[in-house]
Amino acid sequence: MIKVKNINDFSVDTEDYDLVLKIRQEADIAVARQMVKDFAKKNGFSLADVTKIATVVSELSRNIQRYAKKGYICARKKHGKDGNVLLEVLAYDNGPGIKDVELAVTGGYTTSQRSLGLGLSGVRRLMDTFKIISEEGKGTIVITEIRRRTF
Amino acid sequence: MSDKVVPIIKLYDYLIVPIQIELDDITVEKLQMQLLNEISAKKARGVILDVSMVDVIDSYISYVLSETAAMAKAMGCHTVICKIQPNVALTLAQMGIKLENVYTANSLESALEILNQLD
Repeated sequence: MIKVKNINDFSVDTEDYDLVLKIRQEADIAVARQMVKDFAKKNGFSLADVTKIATVVSELSRNIQRYAKKGYICARKKHGKDGNVLLEVLAYDNGPGIKDVELAVTGGYTTSQRSLGLGLSGVRRLMDTFKIISEEGKGTIVITEIRRRTF
Repeated sequence: MSDKVVPIIKLYDYLIVPIQIELDDITVEKLQMQLLNEISAKKARGVILDVSMVDVIDSYISYVLSETAAMAKAMGCHTVICKIQPNVALTLAQMGIKLENVYTANSLESALEILNQLD
């Protein structure tokens, strides 16, 4: 499956990813969480980081389901410049986009009822890198990475 | 399909609820309804949620748990969340999520102690 999405001149090729998961309904959130969790475990991430990664996938896939109705969660293992192993999680959708990205990643801000508004800001805090590309009416891409830590 | 998602054990005026299923959005909402119904039916004055088997608690699940505790409180029932896993505690704290309207305990014994002291 090859799919290229273009939001703000940023394109994603799902061929580049080890895992590509469709988010279509609420039940897919738990599936995505479990699949990425197993992938992180298999690649030697610590239990603490596996829990963080599973939580991140849960937040991102819920945002897709809640705001865009459908989209994808992708994950891959990468090697950093210093030889570090990284796990990248990417979420993309062709939903309504985010009007004010800065505001959306501010803790406590939410546009839906029954929400703490700590999803995206929480993801940013849990991961080592975090980037949002969003265009109103076109969609949103969230790219986030976590380093594999050795103790 | 049954709307009951967890076993609920009645002990004195308390309900002990071991959560041994993965908490996804649908399950957590069913859990909320089941708890409120049982609190009402059993006239419970305290609920202990044992989450030792739950390995992901994200912002929405936290929200629903806090909301459930607020609803229980309105019905005259206190909520204690018991045995949060270390990695879940770490994740919640790093995200800046606080569980509201609940007491927390690290064992079933201290959860019961908390409820006894509230009476």
